[in-house]
Amino acid sequence: MQQFLNVTLTGLSQGAIYAAFALALVLIWRSTRIVNFAQGSMGMFTTYLALIVIEGTGSYWLGLVVALGAGLLLGAAIERLIIRRVEGGPELSAIIVTLGLFVAIQALAAILFGATFRSFPAPFDLRGMMVGGVNVALTPFSVFVIGSVVLVMAALVALFRFTDVGLRMRAAAFDQEVSRLLGVPVGPLLTLGWALAAVVGSLAGLLIAGGSLVYPAYMDPIIVYGFVAAVLGGLDSPGGAVVGGLAMGLALSYVSGYVGSELVAMAALAILVAVLLVRPHGLFARTAARRV
Amino acid sequence: MDTVGSRRRLRGRAAVLAVVAVVALLASACGAGGRPSGEEGGAQPGLTPQSVKVGAHFPLTGVASPGYSDIPTGTKAYFDYVNAHGGVHGRQIEYVFRDDAYNPTQTSQVVNELVLQDQVFAMLGGLGTPTHSAVLDYLNSEGVPDLFVSSGSLLWDQPERNPQTFGWQPDYEIEAKIIGKYVAENFPQAKVGLFLQDDDLGRDAEIGGRRFLDRQIVAAERYTPGNTDVAPQIAALQAAGADFVIGFNVPSYTALSQLQSLRLNYDPQWAYSNIGSDPALVGSLLARFSEGAVTDAGLLDGVITTEYLPSVEAAGDPWTQLFTRVWQEHGTDAELTNFRIYGMAEAYAFVQALQAAGPDPTREGLVAAVEQSGAQMEGPWLAPYRYSEQSHAGISGVKISRIVGAGTEDLTPVQVTDNGDAPITPHPGPASTPPANGIPVPPTG
Repeated sequence: MQQFLNVTLTGLSQGAIYAAFALALVLIWRSTRIVNFAQGSMGMFTTYLALIVIEGTGSYWLGLVVALGAGLLLGAAIERLIIRRVEGGPELSAIIVTLGLFVAIQALAAILFGATFRSFPAPFDLRGMMVGGVNVALTPFSVFVIGSVVLVMAALVALFRFTDVGLRMRAAAFDQEVSRLLGVPVGPLLTLGWALAAVVGSLAGLLIAGGSLVYPAYMDPIIVYGFVAAVLGGLDSPGGAVVGGLAMGLALSYVSGYVGSELVAMAALAILVAVLLVRPHGLFARTAARRV
Repeated sequence: MDTVGSRRRLRGRAAVLAVVAVVALLASACGAGGRPSGEEGGAQPGLTPQSVKVGAHFPLTGVASPGYSDIPTGTKAYFDYVNAHGGVHGRQIEYVFRDDAYNPTQTSQVVNELVLQDQVFAMLGGLGTPTHSAVLDYLNSEGVPDLFVSSGSLLWDQPERNPQTFGWQPDYEIEAKIIGKYVAENFPQAKVGLFLQDDDLGRDAEIGGRRFLDRQIVAAERYTPGNTDVAPQIAALQAAGADFVIGFNVPSYTALSQLQSLRLNYDPQWAYSNIGSDPALVGSLLARFSEGAVTDAGLLDGVITTEYLPSVEAAGDPWTQLFTRVWQEHGTDAELTNFRIYGMAEAYAFVQALQAAGPDPTREGLVAAVEQSGAQMEGPWLAPYRYSEQSHAGISGVKISRIVGAGTEDLTPVQVTDNGDAPITPHPGPASTPPANGIPVPPTG
């Protein structure tokens, strides 16, 4: 029972991070119909920037702000300077470009920050909490992780549902030509979409790094699991991404805890294949629009 | 769509083939140019009257680099020291080490370069079990002496199959035997859990440990190197009720297992094998957390480990004093670490082997010298080597110690043993002391 509780709670806090990452993928997919494989590397890069700030100033929160700000700029810059040039061409080129960025940013980080393990601080206690003499594998830090992911999701839903900008972003993503005719500034909105996604991706990078070790490839598993989570949720639905992320976190934690940790990657693949076979558009996709 | 796709795919495949062909051509061209012309006229590759070239592969980048990337800098500093004192038989030692990032594919590539392009006379201290396994056959078929592999695997001790290869540090099996006996005698009531790296390291150690602890072991959990999530393993150890956990893992996993235990409020007595316990390195990985909220900076305080070399913290040890001097004169600005001492100790042993091979060494002669006089070589290592024609196994024992702050305190004297059911005995005799000038005294006659 104790182990079940531990495995479940570990899975939930891992799942929250997968959810944040899936959210970032979904955001970009919604705004530009591109799966951004460079998301993980971008998050890793901004996390290193945060580490430098934290080491310099001793303030975790300043590091957090810098990372999110850097994510915003990085996302916007990559969209404006690189992705814009391949948009509208064959769908595959944009994806290949993001794959290229994934490798390039990782290599750049290894050159700038070194390829060794470094510890990344956490703003809250990393000790498990005791509830009535029973230890629960939920640390104040994982509460912070789950809380920030919920907050970000709520903010995004509000943005898309209730604001003008959100509506325009959805329109621009749905049909660029028609939106342009209706006077929607499509270009800047796409940039904004990427920037927002990169902020969420940076947050995921920070959260996974907190209280653990970072190195240039530390986001690699998150890219895979976050991608599966996004597909699970249907790539189009922020809610689906969060549910998909949590489901992935729990499933992988159970596999790891009860079957064997060497099977985690296989389990992720099995889930991906199963979802694609049974519900190719994900569990939460509403329509099968824009089939290509 | 489909035809376009397949045509594109075909074109892609042709491109890949072209690249492969070009690379293959380049590689063969280099190979042809760099082939050692050594055998004719008795000339030895990498050996001139003025110099001898020694090669090594280390992870200077990547997962395994923290700590381990220090080792070759220590080796180099000691060789520079020897060179400044006239070298060995008048020859300056040229030491070339290359980065394999702990990736066996890269190891093959850099060792190829070392043997064919740099034409090293011998290899020294190539690090890592998976990495060095990849070049074991190659080095032996090329006849390159492969001395003092930096890994505790049993693979290096197969003189019939791999006559050129010698182990160096105590292998994981004997280290686990000595830890196992200590725990069985001093903690007979403990429920023991094992935290093992899922490869040779964990396998050899489990065999050694179970010799004494089979009855007491309640769980053996394995992690896959590269997967940094060790939550399930630690949760399983906790669920099994283990109150004494012995870890056979690399340093970063010591940090990860400690962090995960905090998360689970799991507080058994920990023991880590020598390779995973360097207090300075693990401390630097964990120290940052003390600025966050893990208030206990000395997370490793009280952890049990083993030692077979003098520690950098043992300021009174004459060997540590020698190595400190060497590092001040020939090292970099960075601090002397246990890993650098490890590298210097390997270099010290290599200098002895080279001295024993005589003024006109050959590759065969170097191997024969280690087999004949290796067991008598004295140096900073706490227990003697097991080298002979029948055995290429390295240091024969360790002492058990406890981590206190940044240093250690002894729990047992040095104990020696061998693989299998060989008994564990205290190592007789006083610890060796370094010669005054810090250079091994050549064997007489």
